[in-house]
Amino acid sequence: MVATRFIGWLRRFEKWFGFVAAILIAAGLYTGLVTSSPDYYQGEVVRIMYVHVPFVQTAMLSYFTLFVCSIWYLWKRESVVDNACHAAAGLSLFFTAGGLLTGSIWGKPTWNAWWVWDPRLTSFAILFLTLVGYLMLRTFLEDKEKGATFCAILAIIGFIDLPIIHFSVEWWRSLHQPSSISTRGISIAPDMMVPFTLMGVGVSILFAYMLMVRTQMLYLQHLLEAKQGRLLSEGQFE
Amino acid sequence: MKGLYLRWGVLMMVFAVIGFLAISRYNRDVRTISPRVLLSESPSAEKRLMGMIDAGSLKRGSDGVPFRFSLSSEGVKASVIFLGDDTESLRDLKTIVVVGRWKAEKGVFEAAEIRLTPNYNFVTSAYVFSLIPLILLIFSMERRVALLYVMIKEEKVYQAAV
Repeated sequence: MVATRFIGWLRRFEKWFGFVAAILIAAGLYTGLVTSSPDYYQGEVVRIMYVHVPFVQTAMLSYFTLFVCSIWYLWKRESVVDNACHAAAGLSLFFTAGGLLTGSIWGKPTWNAWWVWDPRLTSFAILFLTLVGYLMLRTFLEDKEKGATFCAILAIIGFIDLPIIHFSVEWWRSLHQPSSISTRGISIAPDMMVPFTLMGVGVSILFAYMLMVRTQMLYLQHLLEAKQGRLLSEGQFE
Repeated sequence: MKGLYLRWGVLMMVFAVIGFLAISRYNRDVRTISPRVLLSESPSAEKRLMGMIDAGSLKRGSDGVPFRFSLSSEGVKASVIFLGDDTESLRDLKTIVVVGRWKAEKGVFEAAEIRLTPNYNFVTSAYVFSLIPLILLIFSMERRVALLYVMIKEEKVYQAAV
């Protein structure tokens, strides 16, 4: 019953998240590609920032969501929470891969290298590998309940990587630039701040929408499999 | 399902308009021409000319008068007179973009501004390789959810062979 109510709630509110995300991303793309000016040193290449940074931020947000849902699952053991964990992991992997790819494309014209073993890049690649391991564990364990438990534990342990990614530019000498928005102030031109903020907030809300849709998808798939199992057990083949 | 396709149709149209505006801005503010195009078309409007400064072609006139140099690309050279102040960027064998006008009667390109080389291929690649998979993922998830609701509602989970 809890699951049904939760899925009903998702279905009711998801379209608002999707609508707001679409508006913000469309505005962000327009300001980022059409109205904002190029950077003095990087030129037009700076526009990659408007997809790379939102993807990276959303990858970390989605892993944080996975972390919270994993703790919730180990506490309550509800199957719909496990669906949310699975959904968050898949989306986190997608955004992490997108962040690595766009970062690599940005790195070539600015650093003249597709990849460097920089602390931030390396720790972000470790996050990617953790998520691949999570999904492989989930796929290859036949006992679904045991798989969900082990995956939740893996996600909680893997959370240690998030502060390392965030603080790596401060703890070590890094080629990667430090945060443009921090407690020390904002080091980004106002012209660039608008698309940067619109895309950042828009992609984060988009993640929330995608999480709602994907959680429903996984829940409904399991429901369908359960129905098929019940129909088979009622002797439909006789 | 019809609502899903209608919604996505509207979204794709919005993104197509934004893409069109982005391409227009690129053509207006970023796109460069090569010396080959400059010499063949002799445009009168202000243009951005991109090429490599030929080794040994960089010359200063008397009393610090404007730099002259030769820009080449694809084996074609164009003479350039630079009237601007930012001369520190001018070095032999450096690829630059200069903004100015072609003076057909003198056979030189009079430039007043230097710009960074565009590297716009990287921008296009980053947006294409990030946004297209994102759009495909969201669409496939939404479609799957819509189909699952239909299947569960209509209970078409199994139909026994008669």
